[in-house]
Amino acid sequence: MSGCPGSRTIDFSEKANQEGSESGKRPSQLRQWPIQMHLVSPMAPYFQGRDILLAADCTAFALGDFHKDYLKGKSIAIACPKLDSDQEVYVEKIKSLIDDAKINTLSVIIMQVPCCFGLAQIAKEGAEKASRKIPVKQIVVGLEGNILSEEWI
Amino acid sequence: MHKVINQEIKQIINACPEVGRILEEYNIGCVPCSVGSCLLKDVVGIHNLDPQREATLMYRLEKAIYPDRNVPKPVVDMTKKSAPKEITYSPPVKKLVDEHVLIKRLLALIPSVVEYTETSVKVDKNLILKCVDFIRTYADKYHHMKEEDILFKYVDDKAEIIQIMFKDHDTGRGHVRQAVEGAEKGNKSQIKEHLLAYRDLLTQHIKKEDEILYPWIDRQLSVTQVGEMFRKCSEADASVGDELPKKYERFIIELEEKFLEEVTK
Ligand SMILES: [Fe+2]
Ligand SMILES: [Fe+2]
Repeated sequence: MSGCPGSRTIDFSEKANQEGSESGKRPSQLRQWPIQMHLVSPMAPYFQGRDILLAADCTAFALGDFHKDYLKGKSIAIACPKLDSDQEVYVEKIKSLIDDAKINTLSVIIMQVPCCFGLAQIAKEGAEKASRKIPVKQIVVGLEGNILSEEWI
Repeated sequence: MHKVINQEIKQIINACPEVGRILEEYNIGCVPCSVGSCLLKDVVGIHNLDPQREATLMYRLEKAIYPDRNVPKPVVDMTKKSAPKEITYSPPVKKLVDEHVLIKRLLALIPSVVEYTETSVKVDKNLILKCVDFIRTYADKYHHMKEEDILFKYVDDKAEIIQIMFKDHDTGRGHVRQAVEGAEKGNKSQIKEHLLAYRDLLTQHIKKEDEILYPWIDRQLSVTQVGEMFRKCSEADASVGDELPKKYERFIIELEEKFLEEVTK
């Protein structure tokens, strides 16, 4: 095994569709648009005083219950720390979310692959630059959609 | 078992002392508790045992209470998150745990202060009053008020464990009043008795908070509540100013220097 673990090919297709209930409809918990970090404005009304989820793009696909367990009750911004350009803008936006939108908390949800920790780093930098202080949480998702850790940082 | 878990722990232990012994084995010290009106289910829940241990404990308790009953072997609820090995706190609770550290540094100095008082010709009233000022301003006003006005509000503050915390805070205030009276009158034994009692009380109190109460409250807080509590505590801190905690830290350092020097002399 070599190369970047973030793009290494792994097949766990036998596992898919094994457990869980298929019955019932799950409503979307999304309450805003847009959601991509470059497109959102910290001035948007849906950020003011809210709990924010900063999600790495892949997490929503990896987690079976992303909406129910993590998005519910929060406003969201999504980003990919590996592929997105101009990520300095992200740091400034986080700072502005904390200082100007006066968000309540920031939860960063990332995949377990090493490059994804870049997003947690961006969140930390933004939070350090901000003059207000707020609680910041880091949630790490395993490749098979399991939660590996959830901690305040 | 259904009925029993909703009963008060003291009643259960009175009827079946073996239950107390088993709880003791799991470091759940209900036997020496003076009140004991916690329900068995809360007693077990609050200690956040891992699922295997909790199932085994419940099995053993049921066996002890109903020796004739054919109790099924423990069923482990693996969906329940197991207890983390190391306690982690949310940021606002962590701040309170950090404040305990400075209070514990004062508690550690109390025996030296008492010994110094006993061996000096005349009571150093100023020294006692400075320690009292630390307790009243830093431990009580700055720290306990955040617990009472903010933290405890996030759980049912009628819950027994919270009532015990309130009672400890009050008992502590009583010891401090007595120590002040001792200092005013130059009564060495009164100072000794109440400063040492304060030390014992707060040592146990902080241990209960750090290891049991705070993690229990933290487990019940939503992300939104953590943010809100963080803001309320920051506002409370801002209202007294940055200088207050710094001033009391300097006081502790001075006291440590004074008494550490005494020891090395
Ligand atoms: Fe307390
Ligand atoms: Fe405390």
